[in-house]
Amino acid sequence: MERSAQKNAVVNLLAMLAVGVAGYAAARHANCLSGQVTSFYMGLGLLVAIISWFQLRLAEREQLEKLEFEELTRTRIGPSLFETGEAELFPARRAREQFERYFVPGFTVVLFVLEAGGAYMLNAWLSKVPPTPMRQPTMAMAFFGLFALVLFLLGKFSATLARLENNALLRPSASFVLLGAYLTFAVGAAIAAGQAGFPRTDFYIARALCILLGVIAAETLIALILEIYRPRVKGQVTRPVYESRLIGLLAQPEGLVTTAAQALDYQFGFKVSETWFYKFLEKAFAKLLLLQLAVLWLSTCVVFVEPGQEALLERFGKPVPGRQVLGPGGHLKFPWPIDRAYLQRTEQVQSFTVGMALEKEKDLPKTVLWTISHGKEDNFIVAGRGLQQAAVTPAERTNAAAPKRSPPVSLLAVNIPVQFQITDLLAWAYSNAAPAKVLENIATREITRYLSSVDLGAVMAHGRWDAAQVLRERIQAAADSRGLGVKVLFVGLDGVHPPVQVAPHYEKVVGAIQQKQAKILAAHADAIKTNALADARGFRLLNEAEAYRLKRELNALAQAALFTNQVPAWKAAPSVYTERKYLETFVRAVSGARKYILLVSNTEDVVQFDLQDKIRPDLLDLTVPQSR
Amino acid sequence: MKRNPLSITVGVLLLVIFCLLLFTFQVRQSEVGVVTTFGKPTRTISQPGPYLKWPWPIQKVYKFDQRIQNFEDDRFDEVLTADNFNLLAMVYMGWRINDPMAFFTKFANGSITEAEKALRSLIRTAKSAVIGRHPLSDLVSASEAEAKFTQIESEILQIVQSQVAANNYGIEIEFVGFKKLGLPESVTTEVFNRMQSERQVLISKFQNEGEAEAAKIKSTAERKAAELLASAEAEATRIRGLGEAEAAKSLATFQQHPELANFMFRLSALEASLKERTTLIFDQRTPPFDLLGAMQTNQLQK
Repeated sequence: MERSAQKNAVVNLLAMLAVGVAGYAAARHANCLSGQVTSFYMGLGLLVAIISWFQLRLAEREQLEKLEFEELTRTRIGPSLFETGEAELFPARRAREQFERYFVPGFTVVLFVLEAGGAYMLNAWLSKVPPTPMRQPTMAMAFFGLFALVLFLLGKFSATLARLENNALLRPSASFVLLGAYLTFAVGAAIAAGQAGFPRTDFYIARALCILLGVIAAETLIALILEIYRPRVKGQVTRPVYESRLIGLLAQPEGLVTTAAQALDYQFGFKVSETWFYKFLEKAFAKLLLLQLAVLWLSTCVVFVEPGQEALLERFGKPVPGRQVLGPGGHLKFPWPIDRAYLQRTEQVQSFTVGMALEKEKDLPKTVLWTISHGKEDNFIVAGRGLQQAAVTPAERTNAAAPKRSPPVSLLAVNIPVQFQITDLLAWAYSNAAPAKVLENIATREITRYLSSVDLGAVMAHGRWDAAQVLRERIQAAADSRGLGVKVLFVGLDGVHPPVQVAPHYEKVVGAIQQKQAKILAAHADAIKTNALADARGFRLLNEAEAYRLKRELNALAQAALFTNQVPAWKAAPSVYTERKYLETFVRAVSGARKYILLVSNTEDVVQFDLQDKIRPDLLDLTVPQSR
Repeated sequence: MKRNPLSITVGVLLLVIFCLLLFTFQVRQSEVGVVTTFGKPTRTISQPGPYLKWPWPIQKVYKFDQRIQNFEDDRFDEVLTADNFNLLAMVYMGWRINDPMAFFTKFANGSITEAEKALRSLIRTAKSAVIGRHPLSDLVSASEAEAKFTQIESEILQIVQSQVAANNYGIEIEFVGFKKLGLPESVTTEVFNRMQSERQVLISKFQNEGEAEAAKIKSTAERKAAELLASAEAEATRIRGLGEAEAAKSLATFQQHPELANFMFRLSALEASLKERTTLIFDQRTPPFDLLGAMQTNQLQK
């Protein structure tokens, strides 16, 4: 039996090697991600199978050695022959023990590193790898189906063999072979899903396999740690530390079912696993599974087209006459792969943006300014129309044969959304491999062409709406000429502005216009003030003159009247009158003046007066109040 | 030995599916196919539908998309125009497989990637050659009528088409278009500077226009004010003159007794002139201070 186990281990090993290499080649050829990840599993399985086979060989040698020893014991000649040490007596056992003590843990560490590193590297690779359409998927699917079948048969046989006594060491490779069968089946299913219109299934399965690999790595690490603290009992048969329980569970899920049945029995207190329902389920499981698959296949006879969508119906790759395009609703068709339906959004408005790649709407500030970058700018060349006309000399203008001057160019950052709708699904689907990309290129080309000869100021301001209309018409015409089968619904000049580096200067121009207006308004205010003050002053001058005139007239009249009245008095006493008037006037006139009165007889005396004003008055300078 | 009929049915079904997968293939409306027998291309499939084949490795089917492929040169190439202007140009093209057999043999078992690699070189060469024959104004011009955008594209298309036809690539070029025109980074910076200078001209224009306009308004206002004041002063002078004339009429009254009138005027003048801060030095002879000198007590002792 051991010989048979060894042979089976070698077959497992070779199967793993063959499927690993062939699977990798097929997966690479077909651009199948899950297939490539699965081939990594096969590689790990190959390593496990090698170690498992080697350990089996050691166990078998030990068994032979034991038999030989028992034989010798029965026919021994003398005691001296066996007086040597145990290590010398049982070299095969010692070799197995040494192998299990040192090599197996070492290998398990390597296995853990490979699993963890593989999970990390494959995950990183999957994140970077671009979505690539599959090549010859049918062939790849057939191969992986074949691999699944071969591995399943082989794995089932190995698993049954491993349940026998002394064949436990076959279990790790048997589990890996069965797991390989399921994984290759999953790869085939992923390829089929891709063909059925779910191309990302392959990627998701590949990603799931990476996660599973990570979990297996974690399990290996835990097993390693527990192995350190595991109590060693002499003679106890131990499970190889590199054998994954998780893989065993995945490879032989019926073990899980048995465990679950036992748990149910324990919980309910009676043999649930012996009830008719459980037994029926156990017997009919395969049939139910097949029925499920049949229903799944038959479900491909119906296609539901959602509102806003249309479907292309092909029979053996040819559009079905009279039913080439299916509208919204449910439709019957032959099952896959005879009939295939390809859904497309036709009524729905689709859009793309030419130019700036704006940040997400939620990341945009409430106020979007030219001076603040709000996305990756994409500058378009614009001819500087005003500058070009200014640069042309009169001689160049009149001479048609003169070489054309290179136009001064400006740059414009644009963000132009284009909305379209598919109007002819057959044209859209069958004329171009990537019609959406062609439409985007056409739109970008038309925008580049239009902007290269447009007036910068006009397209940014008053000509914006007209520009949008012209662009829409041009893109529509170009799309029609390429037979895209679309209607261009809307072209919007959402964002058309100078690049961020130049935008502040545009705002400064507006600032300068405002400054100009402010200066003019300030000057008007000044003018109003100047004129108003001048008016007031003129008015005052006139009033003063009028007052002066009136004063002069009245004063003259009053003085004349006074004089007339003074004459009789004067005539009556000329000297007295004059003396009196003089003294009266003198009193009034000198009352406020500082007076020095010199009482000197000698007129030759020199009298000095300090007439300078005092800065600080003293007490003596106090004004004496007038006596009443 | 009892056989499970279900197992047999499933086995037969799987075998049938496997055989179908190995012996048949489909070509879609949008596809063309090439069948190879032991690696040698032996059959071209140009119509959609189901077909039979020998299983791999005897026969192998290569299917190609026969629709127009959109190829976009992802490199923004710097090229020189006829008037020595450095320009970045990116083009796209549409091509399709018109001879699957030739395409299959020319490009590593019909590799689209290989075909696009060959087209990339062709389109880049054609683009540089054609742009080099045209001045910048043929691409970027203030007048759309003068621009030769479409003509340049046609010239590139002709070159690429002739090359593809001459080499029998099994493909045809449907269209070529400029996707994007740009400027090298250093030129872009200078263009930004020039655009800033353009704005600076406008800024200066508006600022100085404002100054000038304000100065004019102020000057006009001042002139008007001066005119107004001059008129007002003239009118005031005239009014004063009227006052003087009216006042002069009363001089006749004074002239009747000029001695008294002049005396009174002098008194008024004296009073008026002593109104401000004045220091007066009198001696004893000035009336009424002469009274001081006449007093006995004030006479000097001899």
